[in-house]
Amino acid sequence: MQTITLKLKNAVMSGIAAVPVEVDALTPDKLFGKSEAELNAVNVWWGNREENTGELFDVSVEGDAASADEVKIVLEGDLTRVKRIGEGMKAGEIEARGDVDMHCGAMMEGGRIVVKGNADCWAGREMRGGELIIEGDADDNLCAMYRGEIAGMIGGKVTVNGNAGELVGQYMTGGEILIKGNANRLAGLNMSGGKITIEGDAELFGPDMTGGEIVMKGKVLEMMPSFKFLETATVDGVEYKKYLGDFAMGEKKAKGTLYVR
Amino acid sequence: MADGELLIRNGVVYDPINGVKGEKKDICIQDGKIVESVTNPKVIDAEGRVVMPGGVDIHAHIAGGKVNAGRIMRPEDERKGVEPKTKVCRVQSGYSIPNTFATGYRYAKMGYTFVMEAAMPPLLARHTHEEMVDIPILDNAAMPLIDNNWMTMEYVKSGDTDLLAAYIAWIIKATKGYGVKVVNPGGTEAWGWAKNCDLNDAVPYFDVTPAEIVKCLGEANEKFEMPHSIHVHGNMLGHPGNYEVTTATYDLVKGIKPYRDRPAMHATHTQFHSYGGTTWGNFESKAGAIADYINNNDHVSIDLGSVILGDTTTMTADGPMEYSLYQITGRKWTNHDVELETGSGITPFLYSGKVSVHTIQWAIGQELALLVKDPWKIALTTDHPNAGPFIGYPIIISMLMSKKRREESAEAMHKAIFDRAELPSIDREYDLNEIAIITRGMAAKTLGLAEHGKGHLGVGADADVAVYDMSPEERDAGKIQKAFLNTKYTIKAGEIVVKDGEVVATPPGRTIFVTPECDDKLMDEMMVTLKDKFDKYYSVTFNNYPVQDAYLPHPYEIKAPWRSS
Repeated sequence: MQTITLKLKNAVMSGIAAVPVEVDALTPDKLFGKSEAELNAVNVWWGNREENTGELFDVSVEGDAASADEVKIVLEGDLTRVKRIGEGMKAGEIEARGDVDMHCGAMMEGGRIVVKGNADCWAGREMRGGELIIEGDADDNLCAMYRGEIAGMIGGKVTVNGNAGELVGQYMTGGEILIKGNANRLAGLNMSGGKITIEGDAELFGPDMTGGEIVMKGKVLEMMPSFKFLETATVDGVEYKKYLGDFAMGEKKAKGTLYVR
Repeated sequence: MADGELLIRNGVVYDPINGVKGEKKDICIQDGKIVESVTNPKVIDAEGRVVMPGGVDIHAHIAGGKVNAGRIMRPEDERKGVEPKTKVCRVQSGYSIPNTFATGYRYAKMGYTFVMEAAMPPLLARHTHEEMVDIPILDNAAMPLIDNNWMTMEYVKSGDTDLLAAYIAWIIKATKGYGVKVVNPGGTEAWGWAKNCDLNDAVPYFDVTPAEIVKCLGEANEKFEMPHSIHVHGNMLGHPGNYEVTTATYDLVKGIKPYRDRPAMHATHTQFHSYGGTTWGNFESKAGAIADYINNNDHVSIDLGSVILGDTTTMTADGPMEYSLYQITGRKWTNHDVELETGSGITPFLYSGKVSVHTIQWAIGQELALLVKDPWKIALTTDHPNAGPFIGYPIIISMLMSKKRREESAEAMHKAIFDRAELPSIDREYDLNEIAIITRGMAAKTLGLAEHGKGHLGVGADADVAVYDMSPEERDAGKIQKAFLNTKYTIKAGEIVVKDGEVVATPPGRTIFVTPECDDKLMDEMMVTLKDKFDKYYSVTFNNYPVQDAYLPHPYEIKAPWRSS
């Protein structure tokens, strides 16, 4: 096991405008096999400037790894303007100790990310595989597609211990999302596959849904009017009302399933 | 324009307009023009490499209202081609609808130096010119849409071809345009009534037929010494069984005598107009029938509209066609109405080699190129971005040059290609001279630009030269494709703009426009009707309509005098 600790220097965020740092170059699969000097020299964007990792972060390395799977990256310091953590990562683990900025775990294919705080918008965007755990809240567009695309999350597993913003899993085609708190409006918009479970309260989930399922364990604040009640069904020993929709997409395409209490 | 002299030494030159077919020779350049000899030049070593004139694209959608609407509508496309700025280049984005900078750089990297914007809505001429000015390196021009225009249809109805010619003269001048563009004549206007028009259907309210519109515009165009013929996107584009409409459209201009040695009609993106069958189920290629017509007649030239597999953005003034396409795909769609003049539609489209119809479409574009015997009658296009982005031209070139590559591709595609298309049975392979004809010579001649220095390397021509990093003996399709995608050198007006596949300079291009010169009395008579239209219907006033000279910082004017006889 190898642990690479990257602590964001205080000076980086001390400007009047905290200029964001983009760290998609700092994933276990990309850093595997690099010496400490090489790690310090990896280019990352700071606003419109390309800087060496060592200029922005205090880098320390412990242990050795035989593959990227054995590499763990720990991000420390003020991460509120650190974007694209673990974007496109394929293996290994990233632990972010604090609140993180947008696009955390975007287009991730494998490995595991743990955020020990809140995640800003677009976490898990267009995720392909792997696991993303957000211990705090997730902002809007969790696991959604980027503007204009027709596929959001395709695979992988995402857990949010807190609440989630609007448009969870927009255009989702596969994978699993668990929201332990509440979800804001329009979860599962245009969803065609995969599963979203919401343990807290939610409203207007599943619009334009053509496949996949949403399990609502909490209170339904407002139900989409274009779903049809089918039957009562039991999921994990609990009885739910099962609905089919969204009929706004036409009879043929209304293949999405909602389970509500 | 670059000062000084340049010598391109020992290249193997293909300059079809001047009858040069792969001769080892030097090209001399002075002050942006090709010259006989030079005294103290900078030397470019092209030893054993293929040298051609700068490419001339006869038909692409690169600037204007609908291109930009496509960009706004498809952020996911912009995301595909993102390249950060360099010391020379500005930020690039986009694949099927690249931003203006990327459009200039990518064409230049393929050795192209002139592109014709194929459909300018007259009312949006300013926008079109602003974007064309923003496109670096390339010289360009734009053809205003004239066929679905109320003025045009009223003169077609009254049969007054002289007044129609006066209107053509006015609108081409007012828009700083190049020639007469026709898109689904009558059909786009009928779309305002939620209808479409076949060739002999009456246009709602105006009570003229598309056939009459095409014929009258064809006749009116030849009343001037216009460099280009009418440029026609016919009726029923993209409908199974439309090939008979296509040849019937060609027949319309058969009796028209062009003012000079060129066809009376250029029929564009012919792939979309060469369909047999009656439904998508029995859809088949009729490229053979179209090619027979072209082989037996000299009054029509065509361009291919060849398909590039993958995702693209379709956009045309043919509003009803875009709506049909949207009904098939269910993807996003937008529609524009341009007052008295025209309309347009835009929707994304994915051409897949696993789908029978797309596979046959893919075959048709190449069949046309291979079945038409005389390459001077055809130009290579993808109707960018409708059948695919221009960046795919090198793929088409490699297909036309290699039967082996066509066979390998066909194997991986839908089997319909073997029984509903002809491509697998065609043995012909293009040589480099023929490639030079369909990518520069033919377009320059047909557009009437050859005498203005485009598309050839004769003394006095513009010093637009492409040096491809390949030997003329190269037969490997992959290497051919690579060479045509990124030149060793592209020279524009005597300045090296691309070196080793990288853009090294970005001089502005020129806007070429035509000024048809019309009899004053005819003009005055037409003006009465036109001003009435402005007063009653236009959202802008007559005086605010014409594009000012300031919109063309690098103009090049071609005069088209009225023909007395």
